[in-house]
Amino acid sequence: MVKLLAPVLLLALVVAATMVSDRPLPRADFAFVNRGDVSTLDLQKMSWMQDLRVARMVFEGLVENDVFTQGYDVVPAVAERWDISGDGLTYTFHLRDNAKWTNGSPVTAHDFVYSWRRAILPDTAADYTKLFQLIKGAPEFADWRQAQLDAFPDRRFESDEARREAAEALWAETEAKFAEMVRLRALDDRTLEVELKQPTPYFLDLLAFAVFYPVYPPLVRQYESIDPATGLLKVAFGWTKPPHLVSNGPFELTTWRFKRDMFFERNPYYWNPDKLDVDTVLIPSINDPNAAVLAYETGVVDWVSDVTPAYRADMLADKAAFYEENRELVDRLQAEGLDQFEIDRRLPDDPRKNIHAVPAFATYWYNFNCLPTLPDGTPNPFADARVRRAFAMAIDKHAIVEDVMRLGNPVARTLIPRDSIGGYASPDGLESLGDATTEAERADIVRRAKALLSEAGYPSPDDLPTITILFNKDAGHDLIAQVVQKNWQENLGVDVRLEQKEIKVFRDDLKEQNFMVSRAGWYGDYGDPTTFLDINRKDDGNNDRKYHGVRYEELLDEAAVELDSERRMALLGEAERIIMEEDLPMVPLFHYVTIYLFDPDRVSGLNPHPRTTQNMFLIDLLDDGKGRDEARAMRPASAAGSQ
Amino acid sequence: MLGLVVRRLLQLPLIVLVIYTLTLALAWAIPGNPLENPEGRQPKPEVIAAMKRQYNLDSFPRFYASYLASATGFDYARDLLTGEIAREREKAEAAGEPPRQRYVFDFGPSLEYEDWTVNEIVRDSLPVSITLGSIAILIALGVGTFAGIVGAVKPNSLADLATLVVALVGISLPSFVIGTVLLLVFPVWLGLGEVGSSAGPQDMLLPAITLSLPFAAYIARLTRMGMIEALSTDYVRTARAKGVAERVVLLRHALKNAFLPVLSYLGPAAALAMTGSFIVERVFNVPGMGQHFVNGVQNKDLFLIIGVVLVFATMLVLFNLAVDVLYRWVDPRIA
Repeated sequence: MVKLLAPVLLLALVVAATMVSDRPLPRADFAFVNRGDVSTLDLQKMSWMQDLRVARMVFEGLVENDVFTQGYDVVPAVAERWDISGDGLTYTFHLRDNAKWTNGSPVTAHDFVYSWRRAILPDTAADYTKLFQLIKGAPEFADWRQAQLDAFPDRRFESDEARREAAEALWAETEAKFAEMVRLRALDDRTLEVELKQPTPYFLDLLAFAVFYPVYPPLVRQYESIDPATGLLKVAFGWTKPPHLVSNGPFELTTWRFKRDMFFERNPYYWNPDKLDVDTVLIPSINDPNAAVLAYETGVVDWVSDVTPAYRADMLADKAAFYEENRELVDRLQAEGLDQFEIDRRLPDDPRKNIHAVPAFATYWYNFNCLPTLPDGTPNPFADARVRRAFAMAIDKHAIVEDVMRLGNPVARTLIPRDSIGGYASPDGLESLGDATTEAERADIVRRAKALLSEAGYPSPDDLPTITILFNKDAGHDLIAQVVQKNWQENLGVDVRLEQKEIKVFRDDLKEQNFMVSRAGWYGDYGDPTTFLDINRKDDGNNDRKYHGVRYEELLDEAAVELDSERRMALLGEAERIIMEEDLPMVPLFHYVTIYLFDPDRVSGLNPHPRTTQNMFLIDLLDDGKGRDEARAMRPASAAGSQ
Repeated sequence: MLGLVVRRLLQLPLIVLVIYTLTLALAWAIPGNPLENPEGRQPKPEVIAAMKRQYNLDSFPRFYASYLASATGFDYARDLLTGEIAREREKAEAAGEPPRQRYVFDFGPSLEYEDWTVNEIVRDSLPVSITLGSIAILIALGVGTFAGIVGAVKPNSLADLATLVVALVGISLPSFVIGTVLLLVFPVWLGLGEVGSSAGPQDMLLPAITLSLPFAAYIARLTRMGMIEALSTDYVRTARAKGVAERVVLLRHALKNAFLPVLSYLGPAAALAMTGSFIVERVFNVPGMGQHFVNGVQNKDLFLIIGVVLVFATMLVLFNLAVDVLYRWVDPRIA
């Protein structure tokens, strides 16, 4: 009998041993589900929203955005003040003397030079290296380094040792070249000077973006080595995780277990301890959309930052019903100019108000291939802007938003979400089928679209080839494509075929222009129209449409050197008007929304601004006896003093 | 017995080498570029090319050899002998920072999770999988054996029929259905337990029950068959004739023999429970290792795929060895 129990005892022993060795974490003041697992905390390499959100918790840049103002005002952070030269080219930042790393060392201007160099170096393969090319000398330096790296593997050496020495010599030369070529200097420990290629009104706003935050050089250098085979600067793994990570933000990352959780505590050396209203934060790794909602329902987390299960549309419908029940009060609060979270806070207690659809700084659209010929060598009808306009007009965007998406996405007539950038006036955009309120108006839009096709040399639908819509699997792209297919077939009489591919194959097809029409989307990176408009420049890596608008580029070039902010915004507005009303290389369908789940009566510090930047150091649990215990509300544009 | 252990342990590297070769060949054939993130911003082609060279992703033979060198400890030994590790330590000490982590058996970086090595991923997730799998097998053993005995004592009775139905359900219902039902009933409707938490052992209970059901069902059938056979043998009849208590007959005499097939099933079952719980991990948000293989394949994360497969293969061999040893100990006639 004892022998029979041996396997049971053995298994029980294994369970006991693993449980004893696995220390449970304490309960955090605030817990939330991030958008996904953090991919990297290497600041210069990050690009995912969830990575950037955590980066803003544990690191701090020269400046930050006041996310509770409509204009996302730039406010001091590590830099207590800055000077801008009269020509708008030279920025001098004065760092505060009490900004410290989590090990107590001061944050210096040299740390920024080192960090920004990492992003400029092609070795790092940083997603956002292009943003750093605004700095004078940076593109030339990157090109020089790239040429050296391209040539290095083919160089012949007598021995492995000689190859290693050559790789290290190349690195030493690279450091010298950087100092010589790139106009980025630490004048002393507390003064950083940067000279730009051209005036860039949004440069300060860019600096609030986490890829411009500093890493701690003495730590990262331990992990760097020069690869003798390629000459590349390699960075080993490990420095971004506790107990090694050294950071300078309000929180310190104390535990990070892979795909399990991240635990944060106050950084004891942070220069502004009063900033925090919570002491600890937990991010459990919850990837299943249903589990995330259940985690909220069962009290494991206080906020779900991206609610994605299919039934979220029903949750929003419930919220709409709740609003309907309180219509009078809602209308009154909206008339007062309150933000949507503040309105929810003032409504009667009800669990239905915990779901929130927040407009995002992002747009979903359909690309038209603008090349003269299609991949099979046949003439491309979409090379003609009139054809593109006609097809764009024949889409019922309202049907997509209301019948397919059902999340309250704003219908898009422009590439840049309206009212998302302070001081920027959006163009009207092209009228399309869904804008019609009567059958007569619909018929008129269809008639005009057909006239455009006729003008372009396609008087009959039979003159056009079968139109193919390319999209990737999942996320409901197929349902959207079906609506568009139906619109084009019914209204223009053309034959439309749907083509669904795996994401990697889809991506390759886009890059090779192996499509006629394809789905696409874009999230803006920084608070300037160029974050959207630049992707339609002829040589931009994201111009999958291969659109080339001469006047469009002239306007962007003019705006790039325009010092007058108002005039610059007008130039950019005109550029957007051209692509949204005349040339239509893409047809915007709707703007994205982000769905949050949190109790507004309990949680404060989240904002409903379309740029959807949430700074976790602003979080306050109301009535928990810690911190301010006061709800924060968005200040309306008039009171925000926008840029 | 010692001979068996030594022989099996000597076979282990060969088995793992064959699995490594086959897995790498298959993983290499998956279309797509592991360095490109289909939904993120794209690095320049030159950068991708340089990174491919750096990770030896541009050549199958080079990748094969370099991975083998690091995973088998060859690279560590070389760096130790050439003083590279000592140099790194000195560099770190000079900067007042801890030296970077080095592994003797280094499974390389994860190409998808940029800050993580495969060693770290295994370190963080394997204990979770082992705990979950062990609890599941314990539950399966308890429930399965009890049901099997009940069924065998009164074959074709209502109790037997009930265990048969439960076993059928356990085997046929997919774990995502069972898991979802358990989630709905306990945390959501009854308010017992939390979802998405992996803070303590209590969070393992529902996933372990879900995971255990197919195993419990199979153990129940094995035990029932073994017990029915054992209860019809002469020694059981003799024991009963001598007036030995029925409980003793069942547990001490019959179960000992009836349990042997269950014991031989335990090796692969335990290995499967600890490694193949992808769906249960997904439904209950358990941060175990089962998900990494599937994610690795989806992302063509070669280092992760191979690392996970090597760990799984080693576990399977070791579990089977442990069961064989136990088997011989329980029933020395087999040796």
